[in-house]
Amino acid sequence: MKRMKPLALAAVGVLGLAALAGGATLATAASSASTAITARQANFKKMGGAMKTLKDELSGGADKAKMIAAAKTIAAAGRKQGDLFPAGTGPSSGAKTDALAAIWSDRATFDAGMKKMIAEADKLAAVAGSGDASAIRAQFTATGKSCGACHRQFRADN
Amino acid sequence: MTESPIAGSTRVWDLPVRLFHWLLVPLIAFSWWSGEEHYMDWHRLSGYAILALLVFRIWWGFAGSRTARFGQFVRSPGTVLAYAKTLGSRSAHAADGHNPLGGWSVIAMLAVLVTMVVAGLFAVDVDGFESGPLADYVTFDQGRAAAEFHETVFNAIVALVALHVAAIVFYLGFKRLNLVRPMITGRRARAAGEAAADVRWSPLLALVGLVLAGAIAWAVSTGFRF
Repeated sequence: MKRMKPLALAAVGVLGLAALAGGATLATAASSASTAITARQANFKKMGGAMKTLKDELSGGADKAKMIAAAKTIAAAGRKQGDLFPAGTGPSSGAKTDALAAIWSDRATFDAGMKKMIAEADKLAAVAGSGDASAIRAQFTATGKSCGACHRQFRADN
Repeated sequence: MTESPIAGSTRVWDLPVRLFHWLLVPLIAFSWWSGEEHYMDWHRLSGYAILALLVFRIWWGFAGSRTARFGQFVRSPGTVLAYAKTLGSRSAHAADGHNPLGGWSVIAMLAVLVTMVVAGLFAVDVDGFESGPLADYVTFDQGRAAAEFHETVFNAIVALVALHVAAIVFYLGFKRLNLVRPMITGRRARAAGEAAADVRWSPLLALVGLVLAGAIAWAVSTGFRF
């Protein structure tokens, strides 16, 4: 067996390392995509659950503390969402997501919609403790519409 | 209630059965459309109307005319099998009401529609914004599961409707039996020497069913908060 020259050996080693590193980078990208997706989905579920709490309270007990907490949950979770849609976490990432590619091709509209939703949720938190059922209901509807507006444009399965 | 018989024909479907059938058709279509287009106020109203129809039809299955009653058209598996074996022969003979196979199709249709409505009552949309009137009795996750089930069951409705229409086309084309006209007029041609009596129904029992259907649909629509 012919011995490999040290240089060739080194080259093979470097290539191997590069391949490993490349693979690792890909794996990291994939797992960070799915981390972002999992995190934003959990946030959206929190927000949906909080919306339901508000709706339940509006048609039932109208518990002020519960409504304020729910509205604040929506605003707080909403504030985290913008950062959880980094490039590469759309449908092309291969991960299971209803996020449409339009989010990244029309990012300005998406971000504006997100901002609007946070603003509406803040207003909802402000009015939730007022005891004025019709004002709360109106702001609840405005908040809900801000969810739906984006979902129709940027979410699949709708 | 009977209406003056036309010579050579016999009344097989009472008016409430026909109204139930022909109101259900546009309501199912409208429910599908309003759901797809997110007109949820309309979608809920349409669902309550279907709920009322279903309550009425179940009541009518015990209180209606001869051919409307479950006891008359829900037949044993043996009878169904025997009837199924005659499907290949072209010699048509009209059943008094639902044939043994069609009877089970009615049961399947009713069961699927009841399932659909019940799932819808508890359904919650992805935003927690739109929901059925009973959704506050379940959690967000349960409501989401109900909504997804509601969507799945729709496929079963489409399948049963397709089967229903295919059967009508089969009877018309192969057996030369028009099943649509009797569902509109209530009457079908009397076979030679046949003595099937016109169906009779009680307007009073129909009224009771109407009140029952309206009351239940209304109570459910409020989420039982009166």
